[in-house]
Amino acid sequence: MQMPEPILRTKGLKKRFGGLLALSDVNFSVAEGEIYGVIGPNGAGKTTLFSCLVGSLSPTSGSILFRGREIAGLPNYAVVKRGLVRTHQIVRPFRDMTVEANVSIGAHFGAGKRRGADARRRVSDILERTGLGARSRSLAMTLPIGDLKRLEIARALATEPAVLCLDEVMGGLNPSEIVAAMSLIRAIRDSGLTVLMIEHHVHAVAGVTDRMLVLNFGEMIAEGVPRDVLRHPEVVAAYLGDDAGAA
Amino acid sequence: MRRLSLAAGASLAVFTLAAPLFLERGTLNDVWSLAFAVILASAWNILGGFAGQVSLGYSAFLGIGAYTTVLLSLKGMDPFLSLPIGALLAALFSLVIGLPAFRLRGPYFTIATIGVGEAVRVCASSVSFTGGSSGLRMPAGSFDFTRNYEAMVVLAILTVAVAALVKRSAFGQALAAIKQDIDAAEALGVNSTRFKLGAHALSAAVVALAGSLYAINFQYIAPGSVFDFRLSLSIVLMPIVGGVGTIAGPVLGALVFSTLQVKLLSIPALRDSYLFIYGALLIVVMLFEPKGILGLLRRVFTRRLRRFYADA
Amino acid sequence: MHDIAGVLVNSVISAALYATMAYGLAVIYGVMRIINLAHAGLMMLGAYATFSLFTRFGLDPFLSLLVVGPLFFLFGVVLYRLVVSRLPRSGATPSMESLLLLFGVWLVLQNLAYFIWTGDTQSILTAYTMKSVAVLGVRVGVPSLFVFAGSVLSLVFLNVVLKATYLGKAIRAVTQNRDAALLAGVDADSISAVAFGLGTAFAGVAGGMLSTLYAFTPDFGRSFLLKAFCIIVLGGMESVTGVAAGALVLAFLENGLSAWTTLPTSFQDAVSFTLLFVTLVAFPQGLPGLFARLRTAFR
Repeated sequence: MQMPEPILRTKGLKKRFGGLLALSDVNFSVAEGEIYGVIGPNGAGKTTLFSCLVGSLSPTSGSILFRGREIAGLPNYAVVKRGLVRTHQIVRPFRDMTVEANVSIGAHFGAGKRRGADARRRVSDILERTGLGARSRSLAMTLPIGDLKRLEIARALATEPAVLCLDEVMGGLNPSEIVAAMSLIRAIRDSGLTVLMIEHHVHAVAGVTDRMLVLNFGEMIAEGVPRDVLRHPEVVAAYLGDDAGAA
Repeated sequence: MRRLSLAAGASLAVFTLAAPLFLERGTLNDVWSLAFAVILASAWNILGGFAGQVSLGYSAFLGIGAYTTVLLSLKGMDPFLSLPIGALLAALFSLVIGLPAFRLRGPYFTIATIGVGEAVRVCASSVSFTGGSSGLRMPAGSFDFTRNYEAMVVLAILTVAVAALVKRSAFGQALAAIKQDIDAAEALGVNSTRFKLGAHALSAAVVALAGSLYAINFQYIAPGSVFDFRLSLSIVLMPIVGGVGTIAGPVLGALVFSTLQVKLLSIPALRDSYLFIYGALLIVVMLFEPKGILGLLRRVFTRRLRRFYADA
Repeated sequence: MHDIAGVLVNSVISAALYATMAYGLAVIYGVMRIINLAHAGLMMLGAYATFSLFTRFGLDPFLSLLVVGPLFFLFGVVLYRLVVSRLPRSGATPSMESLLLLFGVWLVLQNLAYFIWTGDTQSILTAYTMKSVAVLGVRVGVPSLFVFAGSVLSLVFLNVVLKATYLGKAIRAVTQNRDAALLAGVDADSISAVAFGLGTAFAGVAGGMLSTLYAFTPDFGRSFLLKAFCIIVLGGMESVTGVAAGALVLAFLENGLSAWTTLPTSFQDAVSFTLLFVTLVAFPQGLPGLFARLRTAFR
C-alpha cells in the first residue's frame, strides 16, 4: 500500500549561530493527523527547530517540505499563510488588546484570511473551544497565566493551520491542568489538524503523542513510538539527572 | 459613548465649515492653522501612533506637496489639480525611504528618519530648480481665502474620519499588533513590512495634501519653512502631547499647539521660548504621562468614577 | 600624491575629534541602552562654556577643557539623577520614551543658550587661530593640531579609566552583558550615573574643541550628532577602538569626497546622513559585525 505523502518533512536541516551548531542533520517526517512529540534536555535545539520550521529563523542548510513544497527560508508570515503556525514557549499576548482582538489577528491574517462577520464567528467559535468565551472582552494583560496559554493556542488556531506547533504548552501547569491540556490537544487533532509539540514533561507527552523525536545537542538521537523511544539507552542517558524527565 | 463623540464631532465639523459666515478673518486664519495642525498630527499618528513607528522626517512630505503645487502652478496647471500629484509623489517617496528604513526597529528607525529629513532639506536648498534656499513664489492668480479655508477644513475632517476608519479596520488592528509585538504579529501571518509601508504611504500622501494647501494659501515657500526640522518636531509633538495612538489625541494636541503658537507670538517676552516649552512638554509627558493629555484625563476620570462607585 | 597625504592627514585629525564626540554617545548607550539626543545640546553647551571662559577670563580654550570636563561630568550626573533616572526602565531594548525625553532636554538646552548668549553666531579667535603648520607636507591649522592632541589625550585617559579603575571595568561589564554584571554585584544605578556623567563630559569637551574650529549658534550640534550616530553604528560601541575605526571611516569618506569630487560642502552633511542610513540598513552590527561575519564565512 502506498504511504501517503507526509504533511511535514525535513531533510538535512542544519542551523548554525556563529560558532554554535544548534541543529545538525535533522531528518524527520510527520504524517497528516499525527500528534508528533519533540523532546530533549534543555538546550537540545527544540525551540530552534520550531523557529526554523515556521520561518522566524532561516536554516543554515537543509530543506523543509510542507505539503510537498519547500518552505525553508520563507519569512514567518508567509509560512503561517500556508498553514503552519507555532505558539511561543513564553507567551506573547498583545497585552493592550482584548482577548477577542488578539484572536482576530490570527483570523484576519492567517491562512484563513477571514473578514467581517465571518471572522467574528470564527473567533467566537475558537474562544468557546479553548474555554475563553467568558473573557473575550477582557484585556489580555489582566489574564492569569493559564488563560494566557489558552489565548496563545486560540490565536494560533484562528489562523486555520493544517499543522499546529505547540512549544511547551504544559510548562508550569499542575496535574489536573495537564490532563485538560492533553484532552484539548486530542480535540484539536480530532478536528483535522496535525500537531507537533515540544514538551519537557516526557511522560505527559508520551501519553498523547503517536510518535516522538528526541534531540540532544542539536542531533537526533531517536525517533519512533513513545514506548520504544523512552526505552532507548541514549535517551535515558540524556535525561539522567534531569528532573523534568523523572517527573 | 461613541455616538456621543460622533455627534459632537459632526456638529463641530458643521460649525467650522459654516464659520466664514460669522467669524472674522483673523479668527478664520487661526482656525485655518488649527485645521492644518490637525491634519499633520492625525496623519502622522497613523504610522507613529497606531503602528508605533516614530518618524522625525515628516517635513519632507509636507515639502514635496508644497513644491509640487508651486512648480506645477508655475507651469500653468490649476493649483488644485496638482494636489493628487503631490500626494502620489509623497507616497512614492515614503516607499523609497520605508523599504530600507523599516528593516530597523524602534529608535534606530527614528534616527534614520532624522537623517532623511535633513538630507532632503539640504538637497532642496542646494538644487536650482527648486529655487534654492530663497524659495519659490506661486504665480499671481485668483487668491480666494474662503476657498482655501474650506479646503483645509474639509481635509481636516476627512483626515480625522480616515484615521478613525483605519483604527477600527483590520488594517488598524494589524498596526496595533505591530506596535505591541512585531514578532508575535508576524507569527500570526501579519506581513509587518507591508502594513508599515501602507501606513507610511497613506500618512505621507495626506501630509503632502496639507503641504499643497499651505502653498496655495501662503503663496510663498522656502526650504527653511517647509523642510524645517522644527516642523517635523511639531508634527511629532502634537499627537504625543495630546495622546498618541488615539483619534482625539492628535486633535487635542493640535489645539494645544495652535493656541500656544498664537499666545506665544503675541507675548514678545515668550516669543523665543517655544523651544523651551516644547522641550519641557516632552519631558513632562514622557516622565509622567506617556499617553498624553488624553491618557491623563482617562486616569483622572476613572479614578473619580471608581471613588464615586465606592462611596455610593 | 600630495592629495592623498592631505586627505590622510586631515582624516586622521578629524577622526580623533569625531571619536571623542562619538564616545560620549557610545558610553551612555552601552550602559543604559539609551540614545542620548541631548548629546547635541551638550556639545553646544560645551562650546558656549568654553567661549564664556575665553571671553570672560581670557582662559585659553584648550586649557579650559580641564575645567569643562569635570564640570560637565557633574552636570551629567545631576541630569541623570533629576531626569533620566525617573524614567520607567524598559530593560534591554532602547525605549522611545527615553529618546523623546532626551530630545526634550536638547530643546530646553537650546533655548537656555538663546537666553544666555543670544542667537548671534559666535566664534573663538585666539592668537594662533589663523596660524598653520606643515605636517608631512600638508598645511594644517594650529587649532586643528591642538584639537587632535586634546582628542587623543581624552581617549587615552578614557582607555586608562576603562581598563584600570573599578568603575571603568564595571562600565565595560554592563555594556557587554547587563544581566551578568548585575548578578556580579554591580550597582546599576551608580554605574548609570557615572556613565551619563562621562558621556556628558565627553560631549562638553568635544564641543569645547569644536568651538575652536567652527563658528557656532545654539542650533549647533545637529549635524555633529548625526555624525556621532553614524560612527557608533559603524564602529559599534563596545570599545574605544571600534569607535575610532568608525570615526576614521567617516572622516576619510568626507575628506576624500571633498578633495576628489566637486560636491559642494553643503552636501557634506548629506554624506554622513547617507552613510548612516546605508550602515543601519545594510549592516546593522556595524564594522565589528561585518568582520565577525567575514571571519565565520572564511572558516
